[in-house]
Amino acid sequence: MKFAALVLKSTLRNKRRTILTVLGLGASLFLLVTLHTVLYELQATTITQESDLRLVTRHAVSIANWMPLAYKEQIRQVPGVKDVMTAHWFGGIYIDESNFFPQFAEDADKTFRLYSELGIDPAQRETFERERTAAVAGARLCKRFGWKIGDRITLKGTFFPFDVELKLVGSFTSPNLPDEAMLVFHYDYLNEMMVKTMRTRDVAGFYIIQAESLEAVPRIAQAVDEKFHNSTAPTKTETEKAFQLSFSSMLGNVKLFIGAISVVVVFTILLVTAATMAMTIRERTAEVAILKTLGYTSGLVFTLLLAEALSIAVLGGLLGCGGAKLLYSTVDLQQLTGGWIIQLRVQPEALALGMALAAVIGTAASAVPAWRACRLPIAEALRHVG
Amino acid sequence: MAIPLKYNLRSLLVRRTGTAMAIISVAATVAVFVSILALVSGLENVFALTGHPLNIVVIRQGSQVEGNSAVSVPTLQTLKYLPGVAKYGDGQPLVSPELLVLAFIPRAGGDKTHVSIRGMTPAGLALREQVRLVEGRMFRGGLRELLASRTVARRFNLQLGSALNFGLGDWIVVGLTEAGGSAYDSELWADVGTVADGFNRREVYSSVLMRAADAAAADQLCRRISDDRQLHLQARPENEYFREQMRTSMPIKMLGTFIAMVMAIGSCFAAMNAMYATVAHRTHEIAVLRVLGFSRRAVLLAFLLESAMLAAAGGLLGCLLALPIHGLSTGTMNFYTFAELSFHFRVTPQLLARGLLFAVAVGLVGGLLPARLAARRSLVEGLRS
Repeated sequence: MKFAALVLKSTLRNKRRTILTVLGLGASLFLLVTLHTVLYELQATTITQESDLRLVTRHAVSIANWMPLAYKEQIRQVPGVKDVMTAHWFGGIYIDESNFFPQFAEDADKTFRLYSELGIDPAQRETFERERTAAVAGARLCKRFGWKIGDRITLKGTFFPFDVELKLVGSFTSPNLPDEAMLVFHYDYLNEMMVKTMRTRDVAGFYIIQAESLEAVPRIAQAVDEKFHNSTAPTKTETEKAFQLSFSSMLGNVKLFIGAISVVVVFTILLVTAATMAMTIRERTAEVAILKTLGYTSGLVFTLLLAEALSIAVLGGLLGCGGAKLLYSTVDLQQLTGGWIIQLRVQPEALALGMALAAVIGTAASAVPAWRACRLPIAEALRHVG
Repeated sequence: MAIPLKYNLRSLLVRRTGTAMAIISVAATVAVFVSILALVSGLENVFALTGHPLNIVVIRQGSQVEGNSAVSVPTLQTLKYLPGVAKYGDGQPLVSPELLVLAFIPRAGGDKTHVSIRGMTPAGLALREQVRLVEGRMFRGGLRELLASRTVARRFNLQLGSALNFGLGDWIVVGLTEAGGSAYDSELWADVGTVADGFNRREVYSSVLMRAADAAAADQLCRRISDDRQLHLQARPENEYFREQMRTSMPIKMLGTFIAMVMAIGSCFAAMNAMYATVAHRTHEIAVLRVLGFSRRAVLLAFLLESAMLAAAGGLLGCLLALPIHGLSTGTMNFYTFAELSFHFRVTPQLLARGLLFAVAVGLVGGLLPARLAARRSLVEGLRS
């Protein structure tokens, strides 16, 4: 520990080089942590207790097909089912296509029962359940567009040949942040509009099922699909988690691509850092000799050089990893990316990986040049022109 | 007078390891940059390629894409006999009513994904000259037969005779097509009546595709159909319709731009570091150059150029490293149709030029401050070092 001061002084010797190395390393590790987090978010699913008890039933052939409303009662009768709710993805446009956010038409009296983890003012909830053209939106969504209770919101229909005119009567919070990016309105209102403009009525895009217990979940999935297996609208029932994951699997080879880029980035910074460290150590060959003359052992000098490299690397690591974590927890990503990314939660694994990589790079980059420098006989080293 | 380029080139060659490291680091950055550009280019190219200039896509007014459009059967009759619609030799209008649905089928890797099934009439194949039937035969009306593009066949492990199960039964692949890299390379085609039955969509089509007799007629038809207050339809030229779907590339573009920017910043720091080291080692040399009469500006320019040359060499290497990616095929989800979209990485000369420019920019930005330092050094101090 008494050598800490020496190591510190050494790093400050060429301040510019140290700073640039730290910054370069920091930038690369920032990128690595970001990529890791993006991959994580692409495969992330809701992780609340309540979501573990929910299943999603959709048309077996495709998400875009509808099921008859009559299914609801039949699903409710499957043993283990506590409650069922109809839902539709509305997919409308709010003012401009770039203002994307999820919109669902649901059974208003069931929304907050099946999604009991959502927090809402009881009076607002009561108003929502009562009024046909009412809508509730997540707190984050309200903040994004500056909505206030009582505002009129119009959504232009894309899948549906009509617009919906809604009144915002409440906002909700959720322990699962992406939930706060959505808007919910009445299924009955949607159905009414569908009757007026299309010649279809009483259809459901999804059924959300709430199970009585965790054990009942797989049984329910099987029972529901068997029931409608040979009808014109066969179903596919899966847990809410599996349903969310099925979307990310459709993104194809993105995982491979991101992985490949990460490898290239790591390789590059290793190389660059190695070159810088090697350069620094070579320049100090004469000093190494002087230290050895003073009585420092080769082993000690080697350790000092390594410690110096490691401190620089760790600093770069802290900058990159810490910077990423700080940035993504303060910036409003939803607004920045036009709704494409809702959150980037940097995981402890990502930070640990980043720091570990920094340490490995610091060690690996300096090990060989440091060892070479210490092995040189003193006389030769003193003559060395760095 | 400017310092001769030979000086810079020779210096680069003398400090071989430093030069090599810098080149490799820039090369890696440029390789990643070019790969990302190639991905986006390949994706957008699919939409740029699709469509015949005289073909018109008719969908419901207010819809964005065929997937959420509905055109009624009686409307088809009205559209067929509009003036300006091209005709077959026998006088039949060149019009194909189409139904676009999605099926969830397993990829070669095992996991399932949505694929577009396009129900059409034989006119649909005639209207799309860029699609050629290369193996097998056309599907027959009323039967569950499919035409698969070679690309889809490869990605979903299908051959002539393979069976897929969806829409109330088994469908057999009876023919393979090549669609020249257009959006149709991601689709399965079948008879429109059979698709309607299989997916319970009997009374409406998704869209109608028709050929206009000539460019003027195309213009007139589009306007006439879109402006008709009773039809509630919109008509657009086919290639324009597909070009709008290019926005699928948006999230990838955003991520790619971000990655490239951060890597560029990292590279700039690395380049700066390398250049500062070079300048520090050549203080004496620089002083001698100044003694010889070269101005401060000449020194600045020389080092800037050296940095740029280094970066350009790295850029060239990077472009070379990224070249093999050209033609690699992959797939992603088309956010407009929710279906799988196949495309390949596309490296073009313009892309490579952009990669090179990017490298030189990194070199210039990274080399600016060190070059200024080299120029500012006091002559006397330099000679003494």
